[in-house]
Amino acid sequence: MTGLGYAVDAVAVWLSGSPAPGWIAVTVAVLLVWVAPLLAIIFPVAALGQIVERKVAAAIQRRHGPNSASLEGPLRFGFRVLLCFLPRATQDRAFQRFLKLPVVRSLLPILQKLGIGQLAADGIKMLGKEDIVPRGADGAVFRLAPYLALTGAFLPFCVVPFAHHLVMLEVSVGALYVIAVSGVTVLALLMAGWGSGNKFSMLGGMRAVAQLVSYEIPVGLAVAGVVLWSGTMDLHAIVAQQYRPGVFTFVGWNLVQSPFLAALAGVFFLAGLAECQRTPFDMAEAESELVSGFNTEYSGLRWGLFALAEYTEMLLIGALFATLFLGGYQSPIGEQWIVGLHPLLATLLHLGIFVVKFLASLFLMVWIRWTLPRYRVDQVMRLCWLTLVPICLVAVFGLAVQLVLAGGTEAGTAYGRLAALPRPALGVLGHLLGWAVPVLLLAVLVRIARRRHGGMHPALRQLTGGGS
Amino acid sequence: MNGMTFDAIAARITQVCEEAMVVRSENGQPFVRVPAAALPRVAALLRRDPALLCDALMDLTGYDRLKYPGNEASPANDAIAVVYLLFSQQHHHRVMLEVQAPRALCAVPTVSGLWPAALYFEREVFDLLGVQFVGHPSLERILCPDDWVGHPLRKDYLYPAQYHGVPHLREGQHFDGAPRRQGDPEPAPTPAPTKKGHP
Amino acid sequence: MTIEAITLGGERMQLNMGPHHPATHGVLRIRVESDGEIVSSCIPDHGYLHRSIEKIGECIEWPMFVPYTDRVDYVCAMNANLAYCVAVEKLLNTDPATAVVVPRRAECIRVLVAELNRISSHLIAVGAMAMDVGAYTPFLHGIAQREHVNDIFEKLCGQRLTYNYVTVGGVAFDLHETASEEIASFLDQFEKEMVRFNKLITTNTIFRDRCANLAVVTAAEAIAWGLVGPNLRGSGVDWDLRRDEPYGLYGELGVRVPKGERYAGRKGAVGDCYDRYIVRLLEIQESVRLCREVLKLLPPAAAKANDPIGGHQADVSKVLKRPPKGFVHCRTEAPRGEMGYFLVSDGTKVPYRVRVRTGSFSAAGIFHKVMRGIFLADVVAVIGSFDVVVPEIDR
Repeated sequence: MTGLGYAVDAVAVWLSGSPAPGWIAVTVAVLLVWVAPLLAIIFPVAALGQIVERKVAAAIQRRHGPNSASLEGPLRFGFRVLLCFLPRATQDRAFQRFLKLPVVRSLLPILQKLGIGQLAADGIKMLGKEDIVPRGADGAVFRLAPYLALTGAFLPFCVVPFAHHLVMLEVSVGALYVIAVSGVTVLALLMAGWGSGNKFSMLGGMRAVAQLVSYEIPVGLAVAGVVLWSGTMDLHAIVAQQYRPGVFTFVGWNLVQSPFLAALAGVFFLAGLAECQRTPFDMAEAESELVSGFNTEYSGLRWGLFALAEYTEMLLIGALFATLFLGGYQSPIGEQWIVGLHPLLATLLHLGIFVVKFLASLFLMVWIRWTLPRYRVDQVMRLCWLTLVPICLVAVFGLAVQLVLAGGTEAGTAYGRLAALPRPALGVLGHLLGWAVPVLLLAVLVRIARRRHGGMHPALRQLTGGGS
Repeated sequence: MNGMTFDAIAARITQVCEEAMVVRSENGQPFVRVPAAALPRVAALLRRDPALLCDALMDLTGYDRLKYPGNEASPANDAIAVVYLLFSQQHHHRVMLEVQAPRALCAVPTVSGLWPAALYFEREVFDLLGVQFVGHPSLERILCPDDWVGHPLRKDYLYPAQYHGVPHLREGQHFDGAPRRQGDPEPAPTPAPTKKGHP
Repeated sequence: MTIEAITLGGERMQLNMGPHHPATHGVLRIRVESDGEIVSSCIPDHGYLHRSIEKIGECIEWPMFVPYTDRVDYVCAMNANLAYCVAVEKLLNTDPATAVVVPRRAECIRVLVAELNRISSHLIAVGAMAMDVGAYTPFLHGIAQREHVNDIFEKLCGQRLTYNYVTVGGVAFDLHETASEEIASFLDQFEKEMVRFNKLITTNTIFRDRCANLAVVTAAEAIAWGLVGPNLRGSGVDWDLRRDEPYGLYGELGVRVPKGERYAGRKGAVGDCYDRYIVRLLEIQESVRLCREVLKLLPPAAAKANDPIGGHQADVSKVLKRPPKGFVHCRTEAPRGEMGYFLVSDGTKVPYRVRVRTGSFSAAGIFHKVMRGIFLADVVAVIGSFDVVVPEIDR
C-alpha cells in the first residue's frame, strides 16, 4: 500500500481503521515504527550506557559511583531558554516554583543519586571542549570517522524486530544485512586511525581493525548456524520460529534447542564483545598502556560520538543475541496469551520484554568488563582463530548432523502474517539425545585435558580457600 | 653452607694480594683495604673461588674521607673511599672491602663484569662522589641530571648558584653552600625577609 | 599524555613512557625502542624524584633522620623507619657503653606495625600489577583493605602514609587501648577478603596467561643482579632476612618463607612475573599469621616509657649525642627487599654518611636486560611484577 514495509502498513491501517490510510495515519505510523525505537529506546539507552557502566562498575568495586552532580544547572538553563522572552527575575521565579513541585522535589534527588546529573555534566563538558584537529591530520577523513562509526552502529538496528509490528525494514536477508553493514564500523576505525596523523593512532587503528575483521568470522559463523537451524535469514522469521504455544515458551528459544546452538550463542556473545572492543578484548584502546589507540587525537564531542557508537554497538550485540537465541521480543512464559491481547498492549509488552533482554546483555557486558583483565593482542588473535572458529565449525557441523538425523520438518505455528515455517522435527527423545550426547562428549574431553594439564599448584588452591 | 670467618677470608685475600690490609674500625668492625690496582684480582678471587663464592653484592657505595677524623689504622686523608659489601648466598659469609681512590686521580676498576648489580651502584657512586669506574660499559649520571656540575656527596661540594635559570637561593638569603659540622664557625645570620607577603 | 615518537631507521620507533603515567609507578621515565609490537630495548631514566636524602642525612642529627626514611619508601613507611632504627641501634650496640636495649613491648609493636605495613604495601603491589594488566577492580578492593590498616595507624600515630613512628630505641607512642582488638578484627575480615580477592584475579586464566613465562629471571641471575625480597624469592632463592639474619623479635617468631615454584603450571617458569606475584600473596598470608602470633606475645604496658619489658621507648637521647665512632652495615627485610643501611659515624651527633640501599634500585637495574623481546603491552606488567617504587630508586 504505502510501499514503506508491512509494519508501517499494518500500523497505519490499524490507526485509521480503514484499508486505505490517509497521510496523517501513515506519518504517525512511520514515527511509531521507525523513529520511536531509535530515538526513544536506542539513543537514550546508549547515552545512559555511560551511567549503567559507571554505576555497575562502582557496585563491583564497592564504591558509590557518580552521585553528586546536580541537575539544577541544566534545568535552569532549560528554563532560561524556554522563557527567553521573559525577564531574568521571572525566569528564576518560575524555576523556583518548578523546583518546589512535589514531583520534582521527590524525583530530583533520586535522579542525582543515580548519576543522571553526571550524564548531563559530562555531555555539557564534552560539548564545550575545544575542537582540536591535529595539524598532520587528514581533515575530511578525521572529521568524518565518528559519524561513520555511529552510522555503522545504528544501521543494523533497521532489521531488528522490536515487536511484532515494530520492524523498520522487512527484508528476507536480515542476518546477511547485519553482517554486511557492520563492516562500516571497520572502515570508520581505519579512518580514525589514519586520519589522526599520529603513528600510534595508526597502529592502534590497525590493531583494532585486525581484531574486528578477525572476529567477524565467529560472528558470521554463529549467525550462519542459526540460519541453518531456522532455514531462513529473515530475522523476524527467526524470532517467530522460536514461538511455542503453552506456558513454557522458552523451550522454543534457540539457546535451549541444541547444545551446538548454545555453544554458538556463547561464541556470538564473546565475539560480539570483541567487536565492541570491550575488555577482555580492548587492547586497542587500553588506558594503562603506552598508546591510547585510534581515538587518541579525538577530544570533546567527537570522542563522545565514538563512545556513543561503542554503547550502541553493545546494544546491537545484545539485541541480536536476544533475536537470534532468546526468542526476540517474545515472553519466556505464556506468549500464547500475550499474542491474544489487543495489538497496542501486545506491542508495548513485547517492546518492554525486548528492552529487558538487551539491557540484561548490556549489564552482562559491563559486568565482564569490570571483572576480567585484558588479553594481549596476540592472545586475542589466538583466541579467535584457534578457539572460537574451530568451536563454530564443530557446532555448525553438529547442527547439520542433528538436522539430518531429525529427518523431516514439522510445520511450525507462528502468528500474524508469518506463515507456518518448517522446523526440524526432533520430538522429545530427539531433543534429549541431542543434548545428552554432545554434553557427555564434552565432559570426557574436559577431563582428559585437565588430567594432562596437571591441575592447580597447591599454594594457589590454598590462596583461594580450598583448604590448607 | 660452611661459612668462613672474616679472618679466614682475609687470609685468602692477602694470599692473592700482599698489599691488602686488614683494618678494624674504631667500633671494631673489620674490613680489608685493597689498593685499586689489585681490586680486579681480589674481586675475581672472592667471586669465583669455590670456598669463598661471594655471589651477592650487598652494596657498593662510598664516602668522602675529607672531613673524617682519622686514627693510626686509617689516617685522615682526602681520598674517596669506595666500599664493597659482599655476601655469599651459598656459604652465608660476608666481607667488606674498601678501596681508597685519591682525589686527584679518582679512578677504580669496575667489578660489573663479576656482579652485574654493580652496573647501577657504580653509576651512582660516579654520579654522587665522582669516582671513575674504569671499564664500566655505560658510566653516566643516574640520579642527577645529565648536565649537572659537581658531585653532591663530596664534603667540599658547592651548590650551584643557578640551574637553567632557576636560582638556588632566594633574594636576600645567604647559605654557605656546605653542611656545617661540629666545630665549624658560625655563619652570618640570615637577614629577615622583607614584608612583601609570603615568599 | 605520554606519547612522543621519533622514527628511527627502518620500522623502529622510540617511545617515551614519560615521567607522568597512567600507571601508578611514580615518576619513572622509560625509553622504549620498538617496532610497534615487540620491544627491542628499554632504558629507564632515573632521578626525577631524587631528593638528596643521603646528603640530608649528613646535615641533621641521628634521630631527626627518621621522617626522611618515611619518604624513602612511602608505601611501607613503617618498615623504612624500622630499617634505619635497627641500623642505628646496631651501631650503638657495637660499644657496650652506648648499648641500647629496646623494650620487649616495643619490639612486639615494631613487628606488628611492620607486618601490617607489609600487608598494605603488598596490596598496592599486587593491585597495581592487576590494574596494569587491565583488571581495575582488585586494586580497589585492595585499597579498601589498606584503608583499614591506615585507620589503625591513624589512631596509633596520627598519620596515614608517612608515620614517623618507629624511633631509635623503640616506638614513639604506645598502642592505643583498642589497638589489639582492632587489629585482631581487621585480620579476621581480611583473611576472608583475600580469599575473595584471589578467586577474582589470582586464578583467573587471562591474568595467568598474561603473566606466565614473562620476564623470567633465574636464581643465579637474580643473585648476580642484586635482586632482593620477593623478586629474589620469586626466582626460587630461599632467602629472607627475617628468618636467616633475624633482628628484633623475628628470631622467636620463625618466619615461613615462600619462594617461586612455577606457580603457573605448565605454562610458566620459575622466576616469571606470576611467581613474583604469588610470592607476594603468600607473604601477605604469612604476615597475617605473624601479627596474630605477636598479639599473643605482647606484654602489658608499663607505667614508665623505658621499662625494659612493658615500655615503648628506651632512652637514647644521651647516647645519640655521642655514638661510637666507626661504621656499621645493617640490613632488614622491607616489603621490597632488603633495605641496607651503611652508617658512618664520626662520634658526633650528626652522621657522617648515611647510605640507603633499596630493593627497587637493583630491580630497576635489571629492566633493560629483562624487557628485551617482549610485547609492548607487557612492559607495564613487568614493571608491576618487580614492584618498583620510584622514591626507593631515587631517594
